[in-house]
Amino acid sequence: MLEYQNLFTRVQVRTTADPGLPIDETFGQRYGTGVFSYWAGKFGDSQIGPIYLGFWGIVSLLTGFIAFEIIGLNMMYQVGWSPVEFVRQLPWLALEPPSPEYGIRIPPLMKGGWYLIAGFFLSVAVATWWIRTYTRARALGMGTHLAWAFGSAIFLFSTFFFQPLLVGSFSEMVPFGLFPHLDWTAAFSIRYGNLYYNPFHALSIAFLYGSVLLFAMHAATILAVSRLGGEREIEQITDRGTAAERSQIFWRWTMGFNATMESIHRWAWWFATLVTFTGGIGILLTGTVVDNWYLWAVKHGVAPVYPAQNVLTQEQLEALRGQYPSALNRGFPTYTVPAPATPMVDSTAAAAPAPGGM
Amino acid sequence: MMRSLTRAAFGVTLLALSGCQFFKSEERVIVQKGYRGTAMEINYVARDVNAAMNDLARQMPAILPPASESSPPPQWQNVQVLNDISVSEFNRTMLSFSTWVGGNPGNCAYCHNIANFAADTYPDGKAIYTKTVARRMIQMTRQINSEWTEHVGNTGVTCYTCHMGKPLPNGLWFYTNENQILRHYLDGAGARVVSQSITPSNANRSSVKQTEWTYALMISQSTALGVNCTFCHNSRQFSSWDQAPPQRVTAHVGIQMLRDVNTNYLAPLASVYHPSRLGTMGDAPKAQCVTCHNGVNKPLYGFAMAKHYPALWGTHTDWVTPAAPAYTRPPAVVMDSAMVMMDSATMAAPVAPTTPPPGR
Repeated sequence: MLEYQNLFTRVQVRTTADPGLPIDETFGQRYGTGVFSYWAGKFGDSQIGPIYLGFWGIVSLLTGFIAFEIIGLNMMYQVGWSPVEFVRQLPWLALEPPSPEYGIRIPPLMKGGWYLIAGFFLSVAVATWWIRTYTRARALGMGTHLAWAFGSAIFLFSTFFFQPLLVGSFSEMVPFGLFPHLDWTAAFSIRYGNLYYNPFHALSIAFLYGSVLLFAMHAATILAVSRLGGEREIEQITDRGTAAERSQIFWRWTMGFNATMESIHRWAWWFATLVTFTGGIGILLTGTVVDNWYLWAVKHGVAPVYPAQNVLTQEQLEALRGQYPSALNRGFPTYTVPAPATPMVDSTAAAAPAPGGM
Repeated sequence: MMRSLTRAAFGVTLLALSGCQFFKSEERVIVQKGYRGTAMEINYVARDVNAAMNDLARQMPAILPPASESSPPPQWQNVQVLNDISVSEFNRTMLSFSTWVGGNPGNCAYCHNIANFAADTYPDGKAIYTKTVARRMIQMTRQINSEWTEHVGNTGVTCYTCHMGKPLPNGLWFYTNENQILRHYLDGAGARVVSQSITPSNANRSSVKQTEWTYALMISQSTALGVNCTFCHNSRQFSSWDQAPPQRVTAHVGIQMLRDVNTNYLAPLASVYHPSRLGTMGDAPKAQCVTCHNGVNKPLYGFAMAKHYPALWGTHTDWVTPAAPAYTRPPAVVMDSAMVMMDSATMAAPVAPTTPPPGR
C-alpha cells in the first residue's frame, strides 16, 4: 500500500476509502464514507472525507456563517442591495467599527452595533474552532501542538479587541473589509508614530521571515531526499535512514550545524507561534504604554538621527504653535448643513410693474 | 519537453523583467531629496514628462503681445476691478480671459451682454452670474498673486492655471457628509494625529479613524501633485518638521491659501451662481489642490504665465458687487476651541492647555 504521497507522486490509489480510527462518537460523528478526487490527488491525498463535525464544529460553522452574513448584508445595504455594485465595489466595502464618539459604549445597530455583533459571532466561531482542533487532536491520541499554535494566532486576533478596550474606544478595532483592513494597518502605524519602531513588531517580523526561511529550507531538504525515502520523517527520527543522514550532512557541510529530523519541526513551530505572540504583545503596548514609537526609539537610541532638512523660521514656528491636537474627540467638527442658497436676484422682477397694472 | 518549456518561460520572464529596466534606465531620473538611506527621492521618466509638457505647450493659448499704449485708465462704466490699467492692457486681458475660461478668443458672451458690455444683466434683465463670478475671480487671482507668494512664488497664477480653457476647473467639490476630508480646505480642522510625547495622555486622543481621514487628505494632495509622500515628509515620522523637505512648508502655506480662497472667495458665491452650479446641499463649488496643480507639483510645469499679465498683479480691491446678498458661512460646531483653524488670525493662537480636565 502506498502511504506516502507528495506533490510529485504520479501514483494515485483507488481502493475502499479509509474511514480512520474508531473513536468515541457520543458527542458527534463523522459524516460521509469518503470519495476520491483525481485533482485532490494532484495536491495531496486523493481521498476526500469523511468529515467530523461534532458539537463544536457545528457551533463554529454556524456562528462563522452568521458573522459572514452580517458583514455581507451590511455591505449589500451600503450599495443599495445592488448585486452588480456589490461585486464591483467589494474590495472597498467594509463593516466599520463604531465612531470614536461612542467610546466603549454600545452604539446603535447601524452605527457600529452590527460590527460588534459580527465581531462577537466571529470570535465565537474562532474559539469553538480552537476547541475543535484541541478535541480532535485528543480524540486521535495526538499532542495538542496545533491547538496551541492556533491559540497564538487567536491571541493576536484578541488584542484587536483588548487594545481598543484599554484605550477606551471600540472605534480602534479593525474594520471587516478587504482594503479597509489594510488601510487600518497603515493608519494604526501612522497614528502611533510608525509601528516599525515597535520592538515587538520587529520581533514579529523577524519570526515571520524566519518562519519563511525555515519552511523553505526544510521543504527543500526533504524534497531533495524524498527519492531516498526522506518524507518518512517521523520514522527517521527513531530509525535514521540514509535520507536523514544525507540531509543532515548537507547542512553540516554547508553551514557547520544542522537541525535534526525532530528539532527542525520544533524550530518551525516556535518561529511560527512567536510571530503572532510577539505581534500581539506589540499591539497591546501600543496606545497604552507607548503613544509614539518613533519618539520611543529616539529616546532609546534605536532611530538614527539625521541632519535637519528644514529649519522653520520664527514666523512659521509661531504659525504652527498650538496646532497639535489637544482634547480631541472627533477629528473633524460636527457637520452642519449649510444654509440654502438664496435665489438669484432678478433685477427685472423688482423693476417691472406688478401684474394688474398697479 | 517540459524542461525546455520551463527554461523558455524562465528566460522570457527574465528578459521582460530586465527589459523594462534596460530600455528605460537612460530615461529615468532619480533625484535625491533627503539624507542618504532615507529613500527620499523624486523618481520620474524624463521622456514621459517631456511628452506631457509638449502636450501642454500645444494646448496652451499663446501669450498675447504686450499692450502698446500706456495711457492712464479712462473713466470706465461699471468696471469695478480692472480699473487701474490702461485701455489696451484691459482689452488684452479681457481677450485672454475669453480664451482661458470661455474656451476660444472672442467668446465675450460667456460673461457679457454683448449689446451692452457694461451691463450686469442680459437684455431680458436676468443677472449675468458669470460676470459677477469672474469679477470675484479676478480679485481672487490678485489676492493669490500678491498675498500668497509663499505658496505661488514669483510664478503666480492666471485664470488658465486652473481653468485651462474650460469654464469649470478640475477637482471642484461640494459638501457630502460629516467626515468629508476636503472640508479641511474650508472649515475642518484637526488633521494632525501623531502624538508629540512617548507616553499616552489626554493631550492627543486622535483615533485611528481620524488618522485614516488625514491619510486620505494627504493622498489627495499626493495625487493632485503627482508626487509621493517623501516629497514633503520623511515618512519615518510624518509629523516631524525638521526632517521634512522645505516643500512641506510650501504645502502648508498652500492649505492656508486654499482656506482663504474657499472661505472668502468661492463659498460666498453660492448666492450668485445659477442653482444648477450648486451642490446638493446648496453650497458653491470649492477648490482643492488638484484644481490648480492638475497632477503636477508645479502647475503648468512651472511655466511663468502670470508675469505677462500685469492686470493680475494689481492691488486687492474690496468686493463691491451689490447684487449678491451677504453670505453667512455655516456655523461649525467646534469640539474644542483650540482646534479652530479658520484663518491666519487664529493660526497664531496660544498653545492649548494640556492639563487633563478634572476628574480624569
